[in-house]
Amino acid sequence: MQPEVERELVRKCRAGDTKFYEPIVRAYEPQGLRLALGMMGNSDDARDALQEAFVKAFQSLGRFDTTKAFGPWFFQILRNQCRDLLRRRKSRFQVEVVGDGLLDGRRDTGPRSAERSRSRGEAQRLLWRGLETLQPEQREVIVLKELQGLRYQEIASILEIPEGTVASRLYHARRALKDALDALGATYP
Amino acid sequence: MSDREVTHETLMRYLDGELPPEERRAVEARAEHSTELRRELTLYRALHEDLAGLSFDRRTARESVWGQVNRRLARPIGWLLLAAGTVAWLVYAVYTFVSSEAPPWEKLGTGAVVIGILILLASVIYERYREILTDPYRHVER
Repeated sequence: MQPEVERELVRKCRAGDTKFYEPIVRAYEPQGLRLALGMMGNSDDARDALQEAFVKAFQSLGRFDTTKAFGPWFFQILRNQCRDLLRRRKSRFQVEVVGDGLLDGRRDTGPRSAERSRSRGEAQRLLWRGLETLQPEQREVIVLKELQGLRYQEIASILEIPEGTVASRLYHARRALKDALDALGATYP
Repeated sequence: MSDREVTHETLMRYLDGELPPEERRAVEARAEHSTELRRELTLYRALHEDLAGLSFDRRTARESVWGQVNRRLARPIGWLLLAAGTVAWLVYAVYTFVSSEAPPWEKLGTGAVVIGILILLASVIYERYREILTDPYRHVER
């Protein structure tokens, strides 16, 4: 979404008109869902967190600095929402996200595709299990970097930590993930 | 940089494309002479590739959350309109009732019934509110 279009939509939303919020929700929903799924591990909790975060963001638009992009501000709300949900429900990251189809629509239809899909599915299940063992703050930095593809500056602003801490947290998170995958029997160099 | 260790932070910045070209070249030069560094780079690149290919169940993204969000945002307006309408009707009803030509005993009797119902309703709501505050299972969801 063009920044000026986004600013205009936010300005209209601030006046209380919810219909201008729909394009914003639809624009940030796919990225938000990936973040929430990465944080929560299952679609029910992820959708709850996403929905609550969009409502909170709308209600807090008065405090939003319109000179900045909506995305990082919203992801900060979403990340806090995921953490609150995990804490409040005393629930834990629970893997239920791997299915037979892919979110990004990359489906394998070539020869021996079933075999390839099965081994890819196994590898993904292993990765999710590895992520499950990480501490929430390690998992969130991995999700923001690897699943969201954000720059260090953006991650730093979402997590409210210096960029240097992002780098060091990423190191420890990747190290912990590698150890977890080793323990699960995955072979890495 | 080539004559000292590559720190964890620098290593991550290198892998994630966050280093300026000069520092990138320094890490690459260092990697040429360090088997350990090359092994680490291979490991983290493999992890990065696997994580980049991570996918989700497509059923998750089937339905947008906009419907629920919109309902949640519209709900306060609904409550506000309901409350305002109810107050307006009550004021009109009380005015009509008080200014009617019904005998005083009829007005007193009807008034007592209405006030009694309101008191009972308010006490039940208050009791339920107090129970919610101390209910140990209030965070348990179906």
